[in-house]
Amino acid sequence: MAAQQGDVDELFDVKNAYYIGSYQQCINEAQKVKPSSPEKEIERDMFLYRAYIAQRKYAVVLDDIKANSPPELQAVKMFAEYLSSESKRDVIVADLDKKMAKSVDAANTTFLLMAASIYHHEMNTDAALRALHQGESLECMAMTIQVLLSLDRVDLARKELKKMQEQDEDATLTQLATAWVNIAVGGEKLQDAYYIFQEMSDKYSSTLLLLNGQAACYMAQNKWEEAEGVLQEALDKVGGPQELAFLVFVCLSGLCIYVTSRYLSQLKDAHRAHPFLKDYLAKENEFDRLAMQYAPTATA
Amino acid sequence: MLTKFETKSARVKGLSFHPKRPWVLASLHNGVIQLWDYRMCTLIDKFDEHDGPVRGIDFHKQQPLFVSGGDDYKIKVGLLTMKIVKIYNNENEWSALISYVSYFFLLCSVLTGHNHYVMCAQFHPSEDLVVSGSLDQTVRVWDISGLRKKNLSPGAVETEVRGISGVDLFGASDAVVKHVLEGHDRGVNWAAFHPTMPLIVSGADDRQVKIWRMNESKAWELDTCRGHYNNVSCAIFHPRQELILSNSEDKSIRVWDMSKRTGVQTFRRDHDRFWVLGAHPNLNLFAAGHDSGMIVFKLERERPAYAVHGNMLYYVKDRFLRQLDFNSSKDTAVMQLRSGSKFPVFSMSYNPAENAVLLCTRATNLENSTYDLYSIPKESDSQNPDAPEGKRSSGLTAVWVARNRFAVLDRMHSLLIKNLKNEIVKKVQVPSCEEIFYAGTGSLLLRDADGVTLFDVQQKRSLATVKISKVKYVVWSADTSHVALLAKHAIMICNRKLESLCNIHENIRVKSGAWDESGVFIYTTSNHIKYALTSGDHGIIRTLDLPIYVTRVRGNSVYCLDRECRPRVLTIDPTEYRFKLALVNRKYDEVLHMVRNAKLVGQSIIAYLQKKGYPEVALHFVKDEKTRFSLALECGNIEVALEAAKALDERSCWERLGEAALLQGHHQVVEMCYQRTKNFDKLTFLYLITGNLAKLRKMMKIAEIRKDMSGHYQAALYLGDVSERVRILKNCGQKSLAYLTAATHGLDEEAEALKETFDPEKETVPEVDPNAQLLQPPPPINPLDTNWPLLTVSKGFFEGPKNIKCVSFPLFFTDGFVDAPEGLGEEGLGKEEGGGWDVEEDLDLPPELDVPVGAGGGTEDGFFVPPTKGTSPTQMWCNNSQLPVDHILAGSFETAMRLLHDQVGVVDFGPYKSLFMQTLSRGRTSYLGLPSLPCLRGHPQRNWKDCGAKQGLPAVGLRLSDLISRLQQCYQLTTAGRFEDAVERFRVILLSVPLLVVDNKQEIAEAQQLITICREYIVGLTMETERKKLPKDTLEQQKRLCEMAAYFTHCNLQPVHMVLVLRTALNLFFKLRNFKTAAGFARRLLELGPKPDVAQQTRKILAACEKNLTDAHQLNYDPHNPFDLCAASYVPLYRGRPVEKCPLSGACYCPPYKGQICRVTQATEIGKDVIGLRVSPLQFR
Repeated sequence: MAAQQGDVDELFDVKNAYYIGSYQQCINEAQKVKPSSPEKEIERDMFLYRAYIAQRKYAVVLDDIKANSPPELQAVKMFAEYLSSESKRDVIVADLDKKMAKSVDAANTTFLLMAASIYHHEMNTDAALRALHQGESLECMAMTIQVLLSLDRVDLARKELKKMQEQDEDATLTQLATAWVNIAVGGEKLQDAYYIFQEMSDKYSSTLLLLNGQAACYMAQNKWEEAEGVLQEALDKVGGPQELAFLVFVCLSGLCIYVTSRYLSQLKDAHRAHPFLKDYLAKENEFDRLAMQYAPTATA
Repeated sequence: MLTKFETKSARVKGLSFHPKRPWVLASLHNGVIQLWDYRMCTLIDKFDEHDGPVRGIDFHKQQPLFVSGGDDYKIKVGLLTMKIVKIYNNENEWSALISYVSYFFLLCSVLTGHNHYVMCAQFHPSEDLVVSGSLDQTVRVWDISGLRKKNLSPGAVETEVRGISGVDLFGASDAVVKHVLEGHDRGVNWAAFHPTMPLIVSGADDRQVKIWRMNESKAWELDTCRGHYNNVSCAIFHPRQELILSNSEDKSIRVWDMSKRTGVQTFRRDHDRFWVLGAHPNLNLFAAGHDSGMIVFKLERERPAYAVHGNMLYYVKDRFLRQLDFNSSKDTAVMQLRSGSKFPVFSMSYNPAENAVLLCTRATNLENSTYDLYSIPKESDSQNPDAPEGKRSSGLTAVWVARNRFAVLDRMHSLLIKNLKNEIVKKVQVPSCEEIFYAGTGSLLLRDADGVTLFDVQQKRSLATVKISKVKYVVWSADTSHVALLAKHAIMICNRKLESLCNIHENIRVKSGAWDESGVFIYTTSNHIKYALTSGDHGIIRTLDLPIYVTRVRGNSVYCLDRECRPRVLTIDPTEYRFKLALVNRKYDEVLHMVRNAKLVGQSIIAYLQKKGYPEVALHFVKDEKTRFSLALECGNIEVALEAAKALDERSCWERLGEAALLQGHHQVVEMCYQRTKNFDKLTFLYLITGNLAKLRKMMKIAEIRKDMSGHYQAALYLGDVSERVRILKNCGQKSLAYLTAATHGLDEEAEALKETFDPEKETVPEVDPNAQLLQPPPPINPLDTNWPLLTVSKGFFEGPKNIKCVSFPLFFTDGFVDAPEGLGEEGLGKEEGGGWDVEEDLDLPPELDVPVGAGGGTEDGFFVPPTKGTSPTQMWCNNSQLPVDHILAGSFETAMRLLHDQVGVVDFGPYKSLFMQTLSRGRTSYLGLPSLPCLRGHPQRNWKDCGAKQGLPAVGLRLSDLISRLQQCYQLTTAGRFEDAVERFRVILLSVPLLVVDNKQEIAEAQQLITICREYIVGLTMETERKKLPKDTLEQQKRLCEMAAYFTHCNLQPVHMVLVLRTALNLFFKLRNFKTAAGFARRLLELGPKPDVAQQTRKILAACEKNLTDAHQLNYDPHNPFDLCAASYVPLYRGRPVEKCPLSGACYCPPYKGQICRVTQATEIGKDVIGLRVSPLQFR
């Protein structure tokens, strides 16, 4: 049946699983699917390796992608290298800067995406947006939206979203991007965002990414108890990746629950490198510094 | 018209429905009467008693009787399901039974007045009237009250006896013509009363249907329905609706609107002329007899349109959409539907997210079908609900596919996706399909002629197909993991991927179904509630009188709608399917529980269990030893089998048990079986192989006694007892063999003795084989006394808690599913890794394959300028608020600190650090965007509903009520005497107060009060802690202690604490002999109403004090002069004296402490000039 219909994407399941954060399923699907053309095969591999990256199994990617692999996969490898070792990051970024300075093959969307991902990690949003600007795929737009949101440019994000919606309103990525923008916009849109996450978990499977999104919506609506329920579900599902753990922490703080301090020290032990904690520690230092400026006029 | 049932027979001239049972009687032109079950579609019985056509037929209203009248001038009363019981040939005999039957046909020949044949006559349902139609072109109404007066016998039930008895039945005066209705131009074939109104309908050979009205004095023609183009053979009123049904020799049945007198519907038949119509007295069923049989039909569907979401049922009743809360049984009309369609709502799809509903209406001509999209009003008055404007469009079916999208199957059978504004968003090419059903978000089930397809609307592709013809309804389980597809006579249960799990065929129509919470599908047919497990097991739960439509199943309640659209709850006994479900799921604890507590025992359950492979469970039901024995063998339970065998003590049992036990190596049981069956051969061999020589020898002896030479010899052979063998051979006259045996084995003495006996002349001494080999059984190393070693297998669940007495033998019971999975798992894993990663090895694709389509596409339109950073919500928060907590949440510690400093004089932020950090961390959430990217940040805002883009303020998790509830913990600590912990907690609360955000003045006051409470406790408790550390050696020191205890009584504490404080002070002062002050404390204590024992003691002390109301020592304490307590030096600051206060806690200090850190808050500066506490935006207006 599928073969008869022209506009069916044979890699739909692979991509979809990846976007909704169901990485293991993405890997399974990728290994199951029989691509009809070499291009599709590369595309499939791309998602396969990116799913491994998302699972933080960098070694698999680094070992598997050889020097003679196609440029798309090389880009993925570059990203894996970047994420896997902190020490090499500067070299990789410098290398990437050079590549970007030259004219880039805009058809190699993967390269653009990977470059933008690296820049985004480097907080170099300008470079990230510049890279993404050259691509036209939905994913480029979605990433653009994410970068714009991190810049608090909801207005531009909405414009970009509109473009996405024109291209394919029902695509998973468009839906997800709509949810992000909705969260940023707030107000009544929060419920819409929630529904998007919920519908996706109904339709596919409730992944951490989707549950996390639901929880974020709940919290934005000050529904802390509900959020806790969703997070608990997510935690029960898997041990919980870092993002989730922090979200739980936020949620518990929101509920003013005392265990937070114990939870925090656990987090400090486990995920020292996470930006949330980095932020947190920086703030602690800032507090101490600022507190020095105050003193009583007299001492006992 | 929905045809429910059709028969083939000779021409049907008369029809009658049974009022209760699903039966219809048809009397035929050839003299036969048929009794049909229209629900089961079977012929129940046939009566062939009349000669010639049978024109009239009727069921008795109460008795299992019927009566028929034919052209043979005979009336016959039949007992249902039996042959005609009696034939009545003359009028005199009729009277005996006539009271039991309806007899309209009788009248046809008796009523005098008509000038031609009477074609039909009928009683009025409630009055003493008869209407008749005749070929003389008139309709006549007869008054038969005279008949009734005359014949009403005493004690006869009025409804049964219309007072007819006696010889002069139907005398001329008994039935008086009341009205003669003239108007038909030809002979009248039929006339009938309206059930409630004074109306008559008639049909005649002039092809017209006429409606007549009558009152006491006259009757007149109301109107004529023209349309039939041949003789009208029958015309009746619809029992419940404003409709008239008529049929005709023009081969049609027509439905007329009674008030408008226009034709509503026409049903044609190709070849058969219609002769008679019958209406069911209670149900919406009609029957029509024609040339070659009859049809049973109804005019319209009776299935209510409904949808279930969570605890809510939505259904359509009388142009209203109603909502039923299953939990509270509250049933309300939520909105009125737009009128305009004469057809009832066919189906409904509900959207909980938008609270919107799609109602589909089917027209007779499918192409004219429409649907309405309504948004249900949020608030509604149940008595007079709103009638919101819906959006109507044409389309066969409309169902929701997402929160804001629905799919419409239009008349061209193509699929449209529409949004909430009813605008087409896209068109989807679908495989041929005639109906669509809901299938979760983004999916649909498409039905074509012979199957159902799961279709993904987003990907526009079919995901799975399953073959099942003509699915009518689809029922999803709550978690959408299973779906039941209901066809007319079949049910198929599939999983989410539309893989068929089971197929059930029903002989009776399948009506509806719902999933219960344990995953059992409960469904109804026309006459049963049944269950189906996903494994395919199904069965009847209970029978139904009338069809119902199941809406929900919870526990043993089945919620349903009946044909009148009334919500009902039926109770069912779920034991059977629960039991089977538990078995299928291997939840044996539940099974056992049910076995013990429910009344399940029955042959059918045992047969079921045996058939399905649960003999060990069945064992628990069986009392009959024989069944028990065979079940036990089946499940390998030797122990139980032995017990049963002992009870039965039959040879065949022992043999079977022996075999089974042998297979399990249970040789002790084997031995017993062989003993019981006296199977010596086998027993001997058993002893041999188990090496039980002593018993083997015994067997030999037994064989000898039994004179079983062969057995004896065999045993000797087994034992290797050569001399015995020689003896046996000798005894049975096998001298040569005996000799040979002896000689070969070197029993020379014996051999010689035997040799002697040979008669050298007649017999030759046989030659001993010089190469003979020793034939000796190997001696057992170790006799096997116990059973063969048994594998330690985890006992089956049913073995553990059993209540069987016999436990003398170890159990040997294998389940066989213990150790399989491990190997499997490893294999699977290896395969996964190998298979998946080999593919990429030699992918050496040239890069040119990627055609650079959009090369430079982005850069063409000029230089890309990256946007600048926008204002983050946190910045807005700072701009929008002057409350310190908002600044902390925004991460702006600097401003937050300044605010706290200015407002409440905080100068040492140490104690605030954890509060700051905790508050900060709830200021933002994170959520994942694209994989492997830094996550996105969310900023929960407290005014998210209406803040817009600029007016945001952060959500504050900390609430006043939280702090107040925390106060209780502090009180508990205080009561427990853990002062330091308590102070710590009080201080956290106190410091948290400036981080509150409250909405109104009352709460501001409460917040301030909270500070006061904390301050009083902190001051008091720290002083008490201090006091306990002080020495009490000298009088001065003791005096100081007393003073402090006295000051403590002036802190504002809870009564329960104050009691404790006062008691301490009382005791100290009493000891110090300051009786006067002590008495004061005692009185204050008594006022608080302490516990009886405390009160009693206090009274004693008070009495003692009052004897000598003086103070022995002068203290710095004047209970009558109000004072504040210095929180640092713990001395009283009497009113009017200079005092410095803490800006936050309000604690008082002697002036020298000004500028120091407040002892209570440990964060604020004493005597600092501040703005004051700010916890609400109100305070800035």
